Amino acid sequence: MELKVKDFESALKSLEEIVVQLEAGDLTLDRALELFEEGVRISHFCSSKLDEAERKVEVLIKGADGTVKEVPFMESEANES
Amino acid sequence: MDLFAQRKIYSVYDITSEIKRSLDRLGIIWVQGEISNCKHHSSGHLYFSLKDQRAQMKAACFRNNNMYLKFRPEDGMEVIVRGRLSVYEPRGDYQIIVEYMEPVGLGSLQLAFDQLKEKLRKQGLFEESQKIPLPLLPKKVGIVTSPTGAAIRDILRILKRRNASLDVLIYPARVQGTGAAEEIAAGIRYLNSRCDIDVIIVGRGGGSIEDLWAFNEEIVAQAIFKSELPLISAVGHEVDYTISDFVADMRAPTPSAAAEMVSGARDDLRVTVSSLKGRMCQAVRRGIERRRLNLERLAHNKAFTVAPNKVRDLQQRFDESTMRMAQAVRRFAAGARHREQMLSARLYTLDLRRFIHHKRDILARGRQELISGMKARLNAQRSRFGIAAGKMDALSPLSILSRGFALCRDARGAIVKNAADVSCGDSVSVTLAKGYLDCEVKKAGNPG
Repeated sequence: MELKVKDFESALKSLEEIVVQLEAGDLTLDRALELFEEGVRISHFCSSKLDEAERKVEVLIKGADGTVKEVPFMESEANES
Repeated sequence: MDLFAQRKIYSVYDITSEIKRSLDRLGIIWVQGEISNCKHHSSGHLYFSLKDQRAQMKAACFRNNNMYLKFRPEDGMEVIVRGRLSVYEPRGDYQIIVEYMEPVGLGSLQLAFDQLKEKLRKQGLFEESQKIPLPLLPKKVGIVTSPTGAAIRDILRILKRRNASLDVLIYPARVQGTGAAEEIAAGIRYLNSRCDIDVIIVGRGGGSIEDLWAFNEEIVAQAIFKSELPLISAVGHEVDYTISDFVADMRAPTPSAAAEMVSGARDDLRVTVSSLKGRMCQAVRRGIERRRLNLERLAHNKAFTVAPNKVRDLQQRFDESTMRMAQAVRRFAAGARHREQMLSARLYTLDLRRFIHHKRDILARGRQELISGMKARLNAQRSRFGIAAGKMDALSPLSILSRGFALCRDARGAIVKNAADVSCGDSVSVTLAKGYLDCEVKKAGNPG
């Protein structure tokens, strides 16, 4: 069973579903182990997503011609707005 | 006095003008009263009556003034108005032309707030069912706020502290003053038009109700409601509530709190994932244990113990049999060995060499006997032969011949024994003891 490229949300949901099924306890041993394997794969995926650590901060600038562009955001001394 | 003669007779217009002048002299006045018969004309002009328990008067507020009213005048509202009295000659009535109006008791802003809140609530903009859940692990957050304000500073500080892997895109907008509401609404629409934003924060730092007013405007409320991305409203301090707070999918009491909402999940989620993993392992382990116990229980079922017992019995008997057999074999082997040993012993006591010699003697003797026997036979044969030879000799034609007999052979070579076999004139050959004679028969006859 291939782990399809999932976003975190659906991965977490799948993991919860697997746990519920396993806790219900009326699966064949084969099926239980299959689900267990997939569950382990999904939980690794989730953990890796949680441990990603980059951050990018940008602000939008409107050019004279009306086009919108993203530029890195520099925090200047803030005035109370 | 003749009142009748000295009377001043005004025209209607004149007296009306007098009245008008008198009223004009009052100038700008403030009047408090209750609004009734309020009509919001399509032209934008407002016509109503002000009344109290004992009197009422007409009032009008033209478009260019009521545009600035933050609230919407309604029947029953107690208001204070400022304006000038005026007379409308053609109808002969007077009214106050209102330049400014404020509700009594509540600030007009507060009233406007209440009115809009009620209106939007009726339209369903605050419905829980319309609210979109926030994403658990957003990758990019769009923020509509002032780029120089306290809000963005607070948000970025919190994100940094939580070490959240979360990209930020700021849509810079004014957050108070004229046009701010429009900019904020435009920002919300813009962020919705992008495909890389997962959640929106709309917010600003603390301030007065006037400062925060942009976030109470209907245009902002509608933009928030129409937002298909989940949106957090983070305006002012904890005590400040704005319309945007009610419409938004989530209210954050402060911009910092909003930052926590979009990033905070991380630690909780880690706990969730690891607890799910733990539950999964437990469940599988329990499943296996349960099956194992089942198996054991079944295994202890009599059906399974009886047969092994039988097998064990058989096993035991088999073992005993094989043991006995082994013993028997050993005994037999021992016996055989014993016999063999005995025989060997006997063999050895026979002194093998003597045995051989003995046999050799027998052989030699035998050979001797054979030889002597052969010799004896040979001698016997020889003497028999000698006798026979003597006899032979005696019987030999040559010895016969040497006795004077002769052998007669006819022309063919056949021996003539009978005179009748030859005729006169035949040639015959006569062999003597020495030499031979070729003869011719002169006469053949029998001896007398």
